Amino acid sequence: MSGILKQLIGIETPKVLVVGITGKQGQRRSKVMKNMGTKILAGCTPGKGGQEVDGVPVFNSASEAVRSIPELNCAVTFVPASAIRVAAMDAMNAGLRFSVLTADGVPTHDEVVIKEYAKATGCTYLGPNTVGMLDTAGYLLGLIGGNAAWARKNYLPGCVGVISRSGGLSQLLGAFHCRPNLPGPRADGSFGPVWGEQSPGVSAVICTGGDPIPGVTMLDAALAFEKDPRTKLIVAYGETGTTQENDIALAIAAGKVTKPVIIFLGGKFTKEGVAQSHAGAMIRNDAETYAFKRKVLEAEGVIVVERPDAMFAQTAKVLGL
Amino acid sequence: MSALPEYKTRVLLTNEEVPVVDGVFVAAASNLDNSLPQPPVYLKAQIPGATSRAASGLVRRADTKEQIEQDLKTLLAPGAWGQADGVLVTKSIELIGEYYAACMLDFGSAEKLPCGVLLFSPEGGSGVERRRESLRKIDFSLLNLPSADDLIRELGNVNNPQAIGELLEGLCRTFARYKLVVLETNPIGVLADGSVTVVDCRAEFEPHAVSPKDKDLFAAASTTKRDLTLLERLVQKINKDDPAGTAFFRENRKLPPERAWRVATNLCGGGGKMLWEMTTGARSDIHSMNESDTSGGLSAFKSYRVLRAILSIEGSQVLLLTGSGMGFQDQYHLAAAVWKTLRESPTPLPALLRFGGTDEDNARELFEKVSAKLPVTVKTFLPHVFPNAMVDEIPNLVVKERLMVTPDPQPTGAPTFRVSVPPGDFFFYPHKWPRREAPPCVRACPTNFLVWSPDKRTIEPAADARCIGCLLCETIALTEGKGELRIRLGLPEVEE
Repeated sequence: MSGILKQLIGIETPKVLVVGITGKQGQRRSKVMKNMGTKILAGCTPGKGGQEVDGVPVFNSASEAVRSIPELNCAVTFVPASAIRVAAMDAMNAGLRFSVLTADGVPTHDEVVIKEYAKATGCTYLGPNTVGMLDTAGYLLGLIGGNAAWARKNYLPGCVGVISRSGGLSQLLGAFHCRPNLPGPRADGSFGPVWGEQSPGVSAVICTGGDPIPGVTMLDAALAFEKDPRTKLIVAYGETGTTQENDIALAIAAGKVTKPVIIFLGGKFTKEGVAQSHAGAMIRNDAETYAFKRKVLEAEGVIVVERPDAMFAQTAKVLGL
Repeated sequence: MSALPEYKTRVLLTNEEVPVVDGVFVAAASNLDNSLPQPPVYLKAQIPGATSRAASGLVRRADTKEQIEQDLKTLLAPGAWGQADGVLVTKSIELIGEYYAACMLDFGSAEKLPCGVLLFSPEGGSGVERRRESLRKIDFSLLNLPSADDLIRELGNVNNPQAIGELLEGLCRTFARYKLVVLETNPIGVLADGSVTVVDCRAEFEPHAVSPKDKDLFAAASTTKRDLTLLERLVQKINKDDPAGTAFFRENRKLPPERAWRVATNLCGGGGKMLWEMTTGARSDIHSMNESDTSGGLSAFKSYRVLRAILSIEGSQVLLLTGSGMGFQDQYHLAAAVWKTLRESPTPLPALLRFGGTDEDNARELFEKVSAKLPVTVKTFLPHVFPNAMVDEIPNLVVKERLMVTPDPQPTGAPTFRVSVPPGDFFFYPHKWPRREAPPCVRACPTNFLVWSPDKRTIEPAADARCIGCLLCETIALTEGKGELRIRLGLPEVEE
């Protein structure tokens, strides 16, 4: 079964280079990714070429790694925010078509440059400030899951495609769609299991990240889920700032997204111009407000919920569970 | 976003060879000397983020030396505007024209790539409304910065095209080199010989975008000490000593409405913070005492220190904590930190705790074991219970008056060994573990950092393993062992 990367960028099986593999996070997360089935073929850290991390060869740069292992097609980066611009451009220069940029606190200037460079080189990236993506076809790129045992238990194959601008909420919306007998408020106002032993499960979870200039946008992710034969329903966490949710509404209006969409929309009380925990949630104009987004989404038939636990009952309703 | 005052913005421009009008910065505490320009001069109080300075009396013209001294005294003294960093004294120059220019970022859209934007108007000086008509907007790449010739072509018909083109090229260069969010120059003065020079300027920047080598240039411009509360400065220091992970903390400046429940919060991630806002934004019966976001690769050592600050917020009646450990933060580690905080804080609060994600079951089980011995009531929630449902329990837990307790005594004296990252002192008490086999605290260490030395009857740090500051060793020593290991996590000192 093809994963969501096939729909996103045409990659059937991600073959991964871990950038920053010799660091604490790089080592720890590589183990989890491998345990989740991800094919990690190489790592790189400047000045550490020639070493090995858990049997994975380490190179000095992405270009060096690709020269030795040409089948590499993805990069997952665990480098500090200040190094992400160079790391991302190195991966793109090396011909890696897809990168996951996990770093938080990337200067906006660097985000502008990375976006421009990706366009020029024909590459795609997820992030920055993302926990990455998980596909129940058998791979994890990034940080989702904490540890592999927990992730395997909590992310089960199914028909819900999850998109989120928040790391915590992307994982949570994904995991809870996989829990049998999940308790919560039901559509009729009562409280109890919103579905039975058979949970809907997820096709994939894509965290587009909390920053103002994401590589893969919510719309890109929605279009990928639209093409994904496993996905029957798209659920998302959106919030104020940027026009990503409005773009989904436009795509629905244009017939480009036809699968049902449920959005938990945050930011009802967010004031214009006030900095938020997610840099991307800051409102810069009227189209980026909660009210505007809610209006355009609902006009296109999107189910908008104000609290996360209300989402699961809506999922059950849409899927007839 | 932080504001950079004119005198510092001038340094950035000068470093990129952008001409600025002659001037001297007089620091608040320094003495006057002969380097001041000869009168007539302009004196401008330097207050980060201040606008409309002329109308507020923060910009003055002085035509004599005596007037300069008098105005300097006035502007350097604390006034209605607060305390200025100092005063910029600039030469008065004769201008035959004024331009306006600014650089900022365009974040792009589904159809358009993000880019830099240069705004230019041949009408500088005051009068934003007047300028709006003549404002030109030129997009530029941050990857390939525009040359003077590129900009001249874009500007079309202006006087002194070469001089202004070169200045604007320097402006774009400065904007990109220092990764500024806004760089505004107004006016750019045109002199009688046709040359141009920046007369006034300001900038805004992201503190996290400042390169370490430029730190001094931007240092005083970020949020100043006087704006932060004692606890905010404490968390700032905690972050400095242990930078891994996010620990955002800000006290609420607004007074709580009468009869509102006063809730101290510890929330995980931007999403957690947003959930809390969605839950409480329309409620006048719940008052958040602080904003918080603890997430990323946060150690339990750091969670403990931040929680100590949160529990110290005066007037709080209850603690609400939501963790989400699906990415980074193991919830068992977080629970260990919460338990340690509640038993070691002199001002513990009843707590509503929701653990979600990795090791969530162990986190809740820990509190099932230890809650009864805590001086406050603790209620744990399953991960599918969100803040919107947790708040229903607030009235059942809040305390009317702040509880003051004598907490568990901290270990004293020299530690058995010390860990510097994340910082913590480990104390091993051999008399509490008089056996040959390794104590439970050693077996609990997830990284094999603690090594049992049966002959010496002590524990030692492994040379080839790292302490991740999870607190499981102390937790297990207290719950399954004999209390043979304790960890002292000091709080940084902060001036009152």
